[in-house]
Amino acid sequence: MNRPGIGTILIGFILLFFPVLTITEQASAGETKSDPRTMTFDPIVFQPPKAEPVVLSNGMVLYLLEDHELPLISLQAMIRTGDIYEPADKIGLAGMTGSVMRSGGTQNRKSDEIDESLDRIAAHLSVGIGTLSGSASLDTLKKDFDFGLELLADILMHPAFEEEKLTIAKNSALEGIRRRNDRASSIATRAFWKQLYGKDNPYGRDASLETINSISRDDLISFHKHYFAPNNMILGVTGDFKKEEMIEKIEKAFAGWPMKDVLTYPEVAPVVERNLGAIYKIIKAIPQTQVRIGHLGIRQKNPDFYALSIMNDILGGGGLTNRLFQDVRTRQGLAYSVGSVFRPGKLERGFFLAYGATRADATHQAISTMISHISKIREEAVSDLELKRAKDAFLNSFIFSFSSPAQIVDRQMSLAYFDLPPDYLEQYRANVEKVTKADILRVAKKYLHPDRLIIIAVGDEAHFDKPLSVLGEVKELSIEP
Amino acid sequence: MKKLLVSLVSLFLIPISAGAQTLADRVIEHTLSNGLKVLMVERHQVPTISFRIAYKVGGANEVNGITGIAHLYEHMAFKGTTTIGTTNYAEEKKLLDQIEVVNELLIQEKRKGMAADQARLSELATQFEALQKEARQYVIPNELAEIYDRNGSVGFNASTGKDVTNYIVSFPANRLPLWIAVESERMARPVMREFYKERNVVLEERRRSVETSPGGKLYEAFLATAFAAHPYGNPTLGWPSDVDNLSATETSRFFKTYYGPSNTIIALVGDFKADKVIPMLEAAFGSIPTAPPPPRVVTVEPPQRGERRVEVEEEANPQLLLGYHKPNLHHADDAVFDVINALLSMGRTSRLYKSLVVEQKIAVSASAGSSTPGARYTNLFTLSATPRAPHTTEELETALYAELEKLKEGGPTQKELDKVVTNIDASKIRALRSNGGLAGQLAYFEAVADDWKYIMRNRDAIARVTAEDVKRVAKAYFVKKNRTVATLVKQQAAHPDTKNMTDAKEDGR
Repeated sequence: MNRPGIGTILIGFILLFFPVLTITEQASAGETKSDPRTMTFDPIVFQPPKAEPVVLSNGMVLYLLEDHELPLISLQAMIRTGDIYEPADKIGLAGMTGSVMRSGGTQNRKSDEIDESLDRIAAHLSVGIGTLSGSASLDTLKKDFDFGLELLADILMHPAFEEEKLTIAKNSALEGIRRRNDRASSIATRAFWKQLYGKDNPYGRDASLETINSISRDDLISFHKHYFAPNNMILGVTGDFKKEEMIEKIEKAFAGWPMKDVLTYPEVAPVVERNLGAIYKIIKAIPQTQVRIGHLGIRQKNPDFYALSIMNDILGGGGLTNRLFQDVRTRQGLAYSVGSVFRPGKLERGFFLAYGATRADATHQAISTMISHISKIREEAVSDLELKRAKDAFLNSFIFSFSSPAQIVDRQMSLAYFDLPPDYLEQYRANVEKVTKADILRVAKKYLHPDRLIIIAVGDEAHFDKPLSVLGEVKELSIEP
Repeated sequence: MKKLLVSLVSLFLIPISAGAQTLADRVIEHTLSNGLKVLMVERHQVPTISFRIAYKVGGANEVNGITGIAHLYEHMAFKGTTTIGTTNYAEEKKLLDQIEVVNELLIQEKRKGMAADQARLSELATQFEALQKEARQYVIPNELAEIYDRNGSVGFNASTGKDVTNYIVSFPANRLPLWIAVESERMARPVMREFYKERNVVLEERRRSVETSPGGKLYEAFLATAFAAHPYGNPTLGWPSDVDNLSATETSRFFKTYYGPSNTIIALVGDFKADKVIPMLEAAFGSIPTAPPPPRVVTVEPPQRGERRVEVEEEANPQLLLGYHKPNLHHADDAVFDVINALLSMGRTSRLYKSLVVEQKIAVSASAGSSTPGARYTNLFTLSATPRAPHTTEELETALYAELEKLKEGGPTQKELDKVVTNIDASKIRALRSNGGLAGQLAYFEAVADDWKYIMRNRDAIARVTAEDVKRVAKAYFVKKNRTVATLVKQQAAHPDTKNMTDAKEDGR
């Protein structure tokens, strides 16, 4: 599992731009001392570029940002779809549609011809469909962009879904399913999603041999037909081009692609709270126990998210100085990987998750330490120092949210896609500056629930320091195929 | 741990923007008075800087008994210095010294095995724990990381390979003086505090990436089989018994031997002025005393006399990993292997993907690697593949050998060779997009090849490779005698009850 630091959080789901970005901090006019603990710095003033959205006659929304440093052009697209919309008996269909759009040729070009053309010019082209969105990308040398764009447009508009390439995609998916229990970390994570969201909910379910086998070429064709249209797509381009010329090129590349008057989406089953306070063990003869502890969280538009993100940085999310890292890893030496995530959901409730892996005979010690920190942060106010550190870390690294034009445009697109305000990131920053110790205590009490935690442990219980039943009633789960 | 296959080359050849100079002109080199090498590239687009410090040390510098020490030291480099991470170093040091004395006594007693005095062992262990607890009162845990965190660091991390150890971080550009103050201190006066807790953390890292990872176990067994003499055969995380016996004293000695200025490279890419930075670096790092040249790795892997095979039994699905011994990065044939690697495994049109995944459908993935597990010493060209059930690793072996035979007979077409060069050139330009990526490549190649300009030479060497070269190299190296084959063999889960009985029996012995 990745450690989600602040950088990851920003890159992951926040977006926006503003005219002038001034990163401020407690600064005493450029004075530097040799002791790094007391060094202070002037604020950085930086005006990041931004793209103004352009809407084409076919409804496609464009974000363009010129960047002439290197002879490269990079394009990214978001399509309003997602695997939450695939039917329950065909789980895997959305992902496979994206994958075979890329690999399965078009009505004008054989797949092998496309692959050869792209490799010959060292261009990267991808298509994918994830949980909440579809995506496509193209990355080429400037001189090859026109040709690359022609291929990408052909793939998005006229995919052929060659049977042969569907077979290969299915082979890969089926083998992935056979192998998904090869690592205990994957067993633990899958079990957590299933218990948290429910095995039939779009956020908790996953593909099986049966659902993959039931997918046909016609299913891919209709999934594509249902969701792919110019007015259901946002497109961003960055690199070495002239904006006006790029608009023309894109108009031309997608000319004749009809808009959809009606776009319909199946109803997605709501997420409901379940398994409150349940403890599960999965027995596997391994020397290190995988632990997942958590419960449902909040939606991204919840204004308490700002305080919660700082709370989680203090608890287990930020750098090497959060409480879980300091205690479980540094002080007790029990884990290499330990931390927590409080991730808001965009359309549904997100989750809180604390994770770790420890030697079998320290399992109880590690789990009880983790739970004690979840309890403590909702019982006592954090220290002034902890709050200042977490806020400073967030605010001073803010500049890295603007590291490249591609990152900036990507964020603008994503904000628009998820219907978040264009200045969301600036609001986020302004709100983080205002977070107080009282805010953190209040949101911790409101959104962390030690009595509702779902606890999953995958390991060799015979060698645990104490049986899991010390924590409460334990149910044994078998490893799901 | 694969070699970062060349990555910048054509940035040195292709103008990077209209009228701008090539990157070759943009790399500013400077050697400090104590021999420390500095590489800099100014990029003023965004007010940030990416920093790398690379040390020419890694798993290859270890011998049996101390495997894992380079990696464990890398962890200790986060524990602070005589001024960072402590409230009173003078008092703390007394306790750290006593801990070492007791640890040594403890080890001596343990080594008596069955004859060890249990009472004494227990008394020493109690003393050992008590001293650590006492020392902890002076520790400000993770203070170094804390200083970095609140100053807006991003990607603060490190990695240990076979040849090179890297320390990585990026900052808002105005934190340059902070980075210099902390890193020069870290290089000059590190302290081995909280050593024995961190040793346990490293053992957890091993359990995570080897002992509970089928692929990790296979890789470890593969290297240990392929190398009979050279330290490339040892795991970088160390053999567990070695790690369990490493002391702070020994680790500190390792630091003093390998972390001297002339064994160090600093790379900075981002928003700064080199002429202003150089005097700052000179003042902070230049004063670190020179150290004697570290000992050379003298062991040379002897020629292999016949095929070696190893199996790892796991409660997991089969995998195949095989390799052939080949020369290091300074040998003329190395670029030919880079080309073969690309022909076999670069992209959807590569030979392995097309043959094993698309046409024969016996694998779900297949790849090659041209410098496993390192590049500085003679190493391995590797092939790996994941079978698609019900196909077996035996079928994959046959298919992979057939692809190698094709190279010996026909060699690649000119079109294939052109594709390799085009893609390598493009990857060089793309590498320039990221300050961190560029800093990493400059530092890595300066460390592993003793000259960052190797990147350009390697690119040119790749461009000169002919079909005849590929045929010749394939015939010379891809022979059974020179081969090591590792397979992951599926073993059914032992019933937990059966396992407990086995353990009980062993305990009773």
